[in-house]
Amino acid sequence: MSSRIEILNAGGYRSDGRRQYELRTIAIDFSPQGSNPDGSATISHGLTQVSVSVYGPREAKMRSQTFHDRANINIELSIAPFSAGERRRRGKGDKRILELTQTLKSTFEPVIQTSLYPRAQIDIYVQVLQQDGGLLQACINATTLALVNAGIPMLDLVCAVTGGVHSTSALLDLTQLEENDLPNVTIAVMPRSGKIALVSMETRLHVDRFEEIFRLAGEAGTVIHSEMKRAVKEKTAKLVDAMQLGKGSAAPNAENDY
Amino acid sequence: MALTSTSVSKAEKSYIQAGILANPPSRSDGRSLHDFRAIALETGVAPLANGSARLNIGRNPHDGTGGTEVLAAVKLEVENVEEGTGGVDGGRIICNVSCDVKDSSPSAYPNLSSGALDDLQHDYTDVINQTLSHPSLHPSNLGILPRKKSWLLSLDIVILADAGNVYDALFMAARAALWDTKVPRTRSIEYKAKKSVTTAKNASGGAGDMDVDEDTSSGFDTRKIAGAIDFELPDYWDEGEVLEGRDRWPVCVSMNMVLPTHFLDASPQEEASTSIRVLLMFSFLSPNQTTLQGMRMSGPGEIKLSGLKELIEEGEKYAKEIYSALTSKLKDEDIRRNQKARDRFVNRI
Repeated sequence: MSSRIEILNAGGYRSDGRRQYELRTIAIDFSPQGSNPDGSATISHGLTQVSVSVYGPREAKMRSQTFHDRANINIELSIAPFSAGERRRRGKGDKRILELTQTLKSTFEPVIQTSLYPRAQIDIYVQVLQQDGGLLQACINATTLALVNAGIPMLDLVCAVTGGVHSTSALLDLTQLEENDLPNVTIAVMPRSGKIALVSMETRLHVDRFEEIFRLAGEAGTVIHSEMKRAVKEKTAKLVDAMQLGKGSAAPNAENDY
Repeated sequence: MALTSTSVSKAEKSYIQAGILANPPSRSDGRSLHDFRAIALETGVAPLANGSARLNIGRNPHDGTGGTEVLAAVKLEVENVEEGTGGVDGGRIICNVSCDVKDSSPSAYPNLSSGALDDLQHDYTDVINQTLSHPSLHPSNLGILPRKKSWLLSLDIVILADAGNVYDALFMAARAALWDTKVPRTRSIEYKAKKSVTTAKNASGGAGDMDVDEDTSSGFDTRKIAGAIDFELPDYWDEGEVLEGRDRWPVCVSMNMVLPTHFLDASPQEEASTSIRVLLMFSFLSPNQTTLQGMRMSGPGEIKLSGLKELIEEGEKYAKEIYSALTSKLKDEDIRRNQKARDRFVNRI
């Protein structure tokens, strides 16, 4: 089926009308999901939508899971059965889910400053609502935002993006359709420090192409970073406004404190 | 049936019960006995599903937190109607309820092990499935080709947060998602061979000199099945037609009993301090024709037989209110979304 669809046409447009390096629309929502989380975020990259809630740092349910010198990070991920094109139920023990969870955990463990919270636990619940390619990328970005929203100290924001190659031209932020056909790699960067948090590849990619994609993904990471920062700042500004409102006119000079 | 696992102390329990029995009754959030918390509903939340809805009961209006939150989505799949494939002529409906993994937050399902969570999901699934896949509610437009292909409608409901009264929320969300469901239009295709000379001769002439295999049963013999053998999806401007009889989908009322009275829309604490709960599922075919589609009792208490009739009558009254409010909201949503679609169409030109 997909062979009939042109991944990149002669005019340089992709199947959904984007250019080679164009990202899909990013929508960020910080409204609380589920039951009173400490922080939550929903991000959509086009039609892929992931919602994350963060609880903690808090006392661990099971003492045996805690560490004496740092916080334990517990990530649980569930995929809604109606999220993909074809209905499929994935249980908790599903290999794909376990793998995604493990990848997320190893991405965020070095970034979160866990040593500030010894013997505590940080619970991160990821709910995949819609999938249209770039699942890991959306999970990572949503988790970053939820952690920020929860006020958990991190070394940097982790911004992930998927890249792929069609013959010799690199594409960014692949949809499901492109992901099925192209060799692709997901790269998570920390733009401020310029470090790489994750490189994940499930397909074979020619080594000559890797460098180009790697560089492009790093650049796209900074774009996503600025988008995230804008959303966080907007949210914080709203909070500050709300606080000012609560104070009333009693403290007009408080504005400068923030 | 597992009750939710909020634990209340004896004193708390008796305080809540005394409040409900007091005259005038008083509840912790100031509602009267038969008041619902605010309900928020949105349809069409999952673009990859054929119908979907998100419902919240009791969200805090100031910060948007809390409340029971449920996400329901309907997905249609084509199924072969054959022995052993599970497909049924005229389509079938399968419902499934899953609880989200947010199991360790204070108001959802604290202290529940994954085994207990599975049990709970199973309980919810059982009630929803038995009620909604009942033949009396089955929509007539789930068939594609008679005795060949049909739609399998799977309704998946995810409980994102539990702040009491999950059953009512589940049924309302299910009704909304099913209401929102659009069945893609199909057109059957027929391959017709030219009428052979043999058959013409047969019709006019005497009995079968050529048609020897008429009565033999061959696995490849498809002549018994008349008409269409496959179908296609015609290109059309909308997503399809709505489910037939979408007005019939039932609503549920949970009556929480503190004898001799009852109350609606219980919070988790209130749920934990009532000994018995009666679920009543009503379907409204027309304004004056109500059917009781299902009934469940849970909890260790008991009610007198004579009281039950009265209870059902009361329940019908509440259900009717829920039904009419929900239906008008769903119609509003239809207008909102169709308007949006039209506007988008206009903007494009």
